[in-house]
Amino acid sequence: MKEPGKNEEFVSQARELFDDSVERLDAATLSRLNQGRHRALAELETAKPLSQWLRWVPAAGIAAAAVVAVMVMNAPAPTVTDEPITASDFEMLLEDDSLELFEDLEFYTWLQSADLAANDNVG
Amino acid sequence: MNAVSSVFAVSWPREDLTGAKALQRERQLNQFLAEVERRALRMAEIAVRDRDEALDLVQDAMIKLARNYAARPQQEWTPLFYRILQNGIRDWHRHQKVRNRVMVWFGRGGSGDDEYDVVANAPDPAGRAPVDEVQTHETMQHLEVAIHDLPGRQREAFMLRTFEGLDVAGTAAAMRCSEGSVKTHYSRAVHTLREQLGEHW
Repeated sequence: MKEPGKNEEFVSQARELFDDSVERLDAATLSRLNQGRHRALAELETAKPLSQWLRWVPAAGIAAAAVVAVMVMNAPAPTVTDEPITASDFEMLLEDDSLELFEDLEFYTWLQSADLAANDNVG
Repeated sequence: MNAVSSVFAVSWPREDLTGAKALQRERQLNQFLAEVERRALRMAEIAVRDRDEALDLVQDAMIKLARNYAARPQQEWTPLFYRILQNGIRDWHRHQKVRNRVMVWFGRGGSGDDEYDVVANAPDPAGRAPVDEVQTHETMQHLEVAIHDLPGRQREAFMLRTFEGLDVAGTAAAMRCSEGSVKTHYSRAVHTLREQLGEHW
């Protein structure tokens, strides 16, 4: 259907009808549109564009790095604490040398008692 | 209203809204929305055939524009607003399809409640001669039905070009498609409408 003139006429008439229907919107509808518009404008006060938040990212990064640095510098020096007794300690005691010490202890005890008996005989 | 030139692009720098600038921007946005809201409502109403739904869609579009794009240059607002609105209308149609499928599955069908009530949605006569009023109203009703029955993209192209008066570039920006596609959709829409409305026109 190649009729540019007819098409233009049709489009023009359609636009007229549409504009006419827009003009005849009832008051209740216009009121609701008005309310909707003011609700939208209220968004302007609360909306913060993303770019406004992004501009603080470098500052926040520097602040975070500073806090970490201060924490590291002020961290208390590690303290030496008494180490708990471990199984290796008992192993040391139970080594062969330690058993010899126990046997010697018996000998020294006998020796001490023998010395005391000799002294008694002399006295 | 050819608000958008052919050099429209979304790469304009954003403006910071502070102090007096913010107030000025609020006034400009208010004026812009007041200018487009009624036409937008009627276009949404033709697309969804329900005034309450159309009012919700227009309000959502206004809020999204204010929230996300108020800092954009003013010449971008028209295509952005209609892009948001058309996305909303498309989503609405998708939801309706799903809803209708569910209703059919439950045996309640999609007709009946969803029928468009011409009388209930008729505009206020505003004191015109009854005969002219009825004739104009009937012609508009036929046009609305025919536009509503168009494929979605053709409907968008026709309404944005004819009712909102956007140029090809602005329509392409609003529809997020090429200018060639806009021309094709628009041409097909006019052809179909003329064929369908021949007897009423």
